[in-house]
Amino acid sequence: MRSWQVVHRGLALLAVDYGMSLVLLVVAVGFSVATLQEQPADGPEGGRQLARLLARRYPTGGRVVVVARETQADAAFAQALADGLAGSPIEVAAEVRGRPAELRHVLERLSAAPERIDALAVHPAVARWPLLQELPGEFPSLRHVEVLVPRSHVWPSFLKADNLLNIANQIAVIAIMAVGMTMVVIAGGIDLSVGSLMALAAVVATRLIRDLAGAEQAGAWQMAACCVAAMAICGLMGLFSGMITTFAGIPAFIATLAMMLVASGLAYMTAEGESIYELPEVFVWLGRGADLAGIPNAVVLMLLLYAAAQVLMTRTVAGRYIYAVGGNREAARLAGVPVERVTVLVYVACGVLAGLGGVVMASQLKSGAPTYGQMYELYVIAAVVVGGTSLSGGEGQMIGTLLGALLIAVIQNGMNLTGVESYQQKVVLGSVILAAVLIDRWKRRLWQRV
Amino acid sequence: MRSRLWVLLTACLAACAETQPSKQSDVNTRRVIGVSVLTLTNPFFKVIGESLREVAAAEGYEVILVSGENDVARQQHQVQDFIVQRVAAIVLCPCDSKAIGPAIGEANEAGIPVFTADIACLAPGVKVVSHIATDNYGGGRQAALAMIEALGEAGGKVVIIDYKQVESCIQRVKGFKEVIAEHNRSTSSGRIEIVAELPGDGQKDKGYRAAEDALQAHPDLAGIFAINDPSALGARAALEKAGKADQVKLIGFDGQPEGKRAIKEGKIYADPIQYPDRIGRETARAILRYFRGEEVEPEILIPTGLYRQADALEDPELK
Repeated sequence: MRSWQVVHRGLALLAVDYGMSLVLLVVAVGFSVATLQEQPADGPEGGRQLARLLARRYPTGGRVVVVARETQADAAFAQALADGLAGSPIEVAAEVRGRPAELRHVLERLSAAPERIDALAVHPAVARWPLLQELPGEFPSLRHVEVLVPRSHVWPSFLKADNLLNIANQIAVIAIMAVGMTMVVIAGGIDLSVGSLMALAAVVATRLIRDLAGAEQAGAWQMAACCVAAMAICGLMGLFSGMITTFAGIPAFIATLAMMLVASGLAYMTAEGESIYELPEVFVWLGRGADLAGIPNAVVLMLLLYAAAQVLMTRTVAGRYIYAVGGNREAARLAGVPVERVTVLVYVACGVLAGLGGVVMASQLKSGAPTYGQMYELYVIAAVVVGGTSLSGGEGQMIGTLLGALLIAVIQNGMNLTGVESYQQKVVLGSVILAAVLIDRWKRRLWQRV
Repeated sequence: MRSRLWVLLTACLAACAETQPSKQSDVNTRRVIGVSVLTLTNPFFKVIGESLREVAAAEGYEVILVSGENDVARQQHQVQDFIVQRVAAIVLCPCDSKAIGPAIGEANEAGIPVFTADIACLAPGVKVVSHIATDNYGGGRQAALAMIEALGEAGGKVVIIDYKQVESCIQRVKGFKEVIAEHNRSTSSGRIEIVAELPGDGQKDKGYRAAEDALQAHPDLAGIFAINDPSALGARAALEKAGKADQVKLIGFDGQPEGKRAIKEGKIYADPIQYPDRIGRETARAILRYFRGEEVEPEILIPTGLYRQADALEDPELK
């Protein structure tokens, strides 16, 4: 074997095992470069930095006005600045905390007062207010006043910790639903009803909480029971889809298409066409809380589900049955696999997980509406297919689906960050899905030839 | 084989390099307004976004215009992405008046002012600086004036085709009824009697059915006020089918292109029309005023204008 063949084989192996992660990496690097921009120092660090800057600028003392907004981050900034200035000869003449209108009031007062002001020490977000840039024009007596802002550093917006958590949180719902879809697709089926089922679960759960569990006064266990009931209803719908595909021999595409319409109609009926929002504040715990080291609860739930599904698919008899049914139904039957039971059960699992997705979304939005989940079945299927699961069944991996979902979320987030507009976003997303599938096909051929 | 792999790798790298970096201007002067509208498939919202951009761009603001496409979860993600970009202000036409609450709450926490255009936020506990929308109540009053004008000395029976689930449509009917009541108090001739309010859901087919029912119950009907163009056009179809298109005067609302064309052809007597361009421009001005440190009213109403056949004949859009 010649040396290039060795290299080639190595690359092919790499592509087969890590193809999607490589694509993801390339996209992430691309967006990091594209979103490279100056990040203002707007937390406590910015306050300390500004205090040092002021101390150097006015070593013999001066009078400054501190300006920040009303948020918690701004409060930390102002506090750090005040601490940094404590003991120095610089005097804080006034501290403005609020909107541009409040700053204008203070500036009007200051421009009329006889005492001299040396500088405005402002939060980076405040520095962008046109009011400050028009200072000399609007307040001639404050002409000499300097505006001091902490220095910014260059870093990709895409790679900021809160953006990465955003991405994970945004994909949680689709990724959770994609677990069930992966099982269905590996078993050789398809489920178009997941989007409607999630809307149904969202309205059933919120309606139960509103009508039976005492609306805003509902307790945690009552809410959990309502959510489980909603998921169970979705499981029943999944059971029904599974039964008609298996026993009546109707193609899954048609059976679940019908179920999609039925579930959507039921969701509208349950919600009476409106959104249900009379929910307790703690209902958002699942979708928006972050109890484990700042990781959102929905993301923790998603990761646990993927871990469980990975074990189920690779280490248990049930998992092997699912692959067998999708790979060759007849052979599986002859080998003694309970084909019907396996098929029905994957649809039940898919329904329950779609219901869970609906519950998470209701929690994220603190309301349930029948309009949720439109087109989500397509995003979910896209995540599964981009993740390398074959639509003809018998092939695929949970981890691939997670990467596929992540790729879609990263692309959507990155396009929002780079300011790509809605029309173009659709084109790009569609092309990327196509490209990912083509690369997948290409790498399979490569693998077969090696 | 190896060459193909290289082609792919180079293509990937080229693709990376080609993704042009966003404008790397000074963060202290770069000002961005993030706008997420209900849907860009309806020209109404596109006009709001584009006219907002026009005014804001003249003052050095960059506008990012995206659409929630009726999916409030997607709109929430867009708001979260705006926050990460540290936009100066956010403008929303909420996809759901209640479920948009958490997203606005996040923007509040990040200290980014939120403005709503056309559709208000009804979620409790979140702060919106200002809501800019059509004066639907005033528009309803204009519709009534048009009806009085159309029926003239004769007056007669009038039916309202309404949409009681939507706040803006309720306001339109309220304004309409008030002016009709004032009119009836002040004159003895040409009294107008509102004989029924039927649900039309703002849709053609429902408007059609409502008008059919109205004609069955009141064969001597003189006028119909429909709360938007689709339901007015549905009613028109019913009138034509019953052969009463000349007997019954029709007033619509909105001034969508299809409605304007119907006014030009004399099928609808008149529409109080909305001005999405003014909504967009006023929203941009409200943002500029906010940052200049002026107090901005919590609600800014844009009056409608009465649009009759004479206006339609002059309208360059319809030529």
